[in-house]
Amino acid sequence: MTPLEILTAAATGQPAPRIPVFCNLLDQGARELGLTQKDYYAKGEHVAEGQLRMRERYGHDNVWSLLYVGKEAELLGCQEILYSEEGAPNVADFVIKSLDDIARLEIPEDISSHPAWSETAQCLRILKREVGATHPICAYITSSTALPAMLMGMEAWMQLLLMGPEDLRDELLRKCALFFQREVAAYRAAGANVLIYSTPFGCPAFVGMKRFRELILPWMKVDLLPGGVEGIVYYCGMAPFNAVIEQVQQELGIGAYYISPLADLAEAKATIGQKGLTCGVIDDIQMIHWTPEQTRAEVRRLCGIGMGGGRFLFGTGVMPQAIPEANIRAMVEEALGFGSYS
Amino acid sequence: MSRAELFRTYMEAVFDTDKAAAFAAVRAALEEGMTPEQIVFELVVPATEDTMSAITKDPDANLAQHFMTAQIASEVTEWMLERFSQPPEVLGRVVIGTSSGDLHSLGKRIVSGCLKSLMVDVIDLGVNVSAEQFVEAALKHEAQVIAISSMMVHTATGENGCMKVRKLIQSQGLEGQFRVIVGGAPFRFDEELYRKIGADAWAADGISAGKVITDLIREVKP
Repeated sequence: MTPLEILTAAATGQPAPRIPVFCNLLDQGARELGLTQKDYYAKGEHVAEGQLRMRERYGHDNVWSLLYVGKEAELLGCQEILYSEEGAPNVADFVIKSLDDIARLEIPEDISSHPAWSETAQCLRILKREVGATHPICAYITSSTALPAMLMGMEAWMQLLLMGPEDLRDELLRKCALFFQREVAAYRAAGANVLIYSTPFGCPAFVGMKRFRELILPWMKVDLLPGGVEGIVYYCGMAPFNAVIEQVQQELGIGAYYISPLADLAEAKATIGQKGLTCGVIDDIQMIHWTPEQTRAEVRRLCGIGMGGGRFLFGTGVMPQAIPEANIRAMVEEALGFGSYS
Repeated sequence: MSRAELFRTYMEAVFDTDKAAAFAAVRAALEEGMTPEQIVFELVVPATEDTMSAITKDPDANLAQHFMTAQIASEVTEWMLERFSQPPEVLGRVVIGTSSGDLHSLGKRIVSGCLKSLMVDVIDLGVNVSAEQFVEAALKHEAQVIAISSMMVHTATGENGCMKVRKLIQSQGLEGQFRVIVGGAPFRFDEELYRKIGADAWAADGISAGKVITDLIREVKP
């Protein structure tokens, strides 16, 4: 079976020789190509080449079409990104500098023709041509309730979200939901088939259960229901969300859940059961200081919890650049080997 | 309303993140004849400490609650401080900022709001603060604590963050003069990470940082 077929089998509860093994090696591509982060991310072909080389080297199943998260802010007018040679780029220019800017925020009618999309499109064209028939291609898409943090800063967004004015908050959420709908459609059309729905406010640790039910869940419906949930993976930015899985399953129908390393994986698996795909995620921040043996042991522990009954995927979180290469190799090798059903 | 009832009402309002109710309780305290000084030291400071303790133990506590609690406590404190008959004696001084390359300011704001309501003088250095700026500001303002907030792994563990602050403290012979505390998402995933980058302490969230920082101030301040 190809990695794409293995993923499909895991997602639908069909037999497969092993679990899918996902890894996100994003910034590592620049080092691989001998480029600065800024030069690397300037071209979609660099990112595609980096992804293909990383996959070739380590043997995991997926590739990523993500250049950097701040690309979404650039699609909405962000003019400055802060690059670092040690990690992911940051948004350094907030599109919404005052509440008056919310009315002026324009959502591109056709994202695929926007200049800031061109390198993402180029990356996707190459990935689709090279491995699209055999390997899953991931995209990262920020929910309407989280995107404002990138447009105005988390501090200003928390203040508007929690203290209002509510009419401006809702106007911004409407625009961000429209952007989400158009962006997810652009990614699907360009060949991405695993769509990481980044919704950190969709976990109770951010807003509590009451606000989750009354404020966040309705906006997630606005994001997702028009385009459907095919390929969508529920992801809360590494925060635990076990308490809302059942409600998300019932009300949104999402079929895959990226479980935080801080959450109880056994509890998550029991809740998701045979209704969806449980993604067990390694604490890759600890991998910076672990030995390869410690890494292998943690992979076995996660797989031991999650593999029973199938419908399980092994995945990574943020994969900092500081992780030793030997640990990445040990992690993928162990997940592919220990994750075998034969 | 008795002092005990006022305290309970204010405390519940802060815990429930009900800003209007918290301000109403303070207005009621003023009408009962409490002075601004009494309101801060007998109502706001103990209530903030109790709320910090309660939130830390509450498994359902969340970021929104931390944000609102700190916001309410600092706004009430600022409102009362304007009415003090003379400037209050502060518990100590903290310089705070996000680490070099990090532009995420929310955690810093929660910690700062909480500290202000505990009568800690907060010097906010902003975002993307170099190690040199942290140490220079701590010396200039005679702070007891340097607080470094990092939301990204590379800004938490990188050579230009806390690790460099520690190196500068060591090379300038300033050990013992300051304590260094770190906070932010990466530290929640590895509870020993703070030691590996040369910090003296860490806090899991903005609210519990208030307690850890006041303890650090007491360690340093004669």
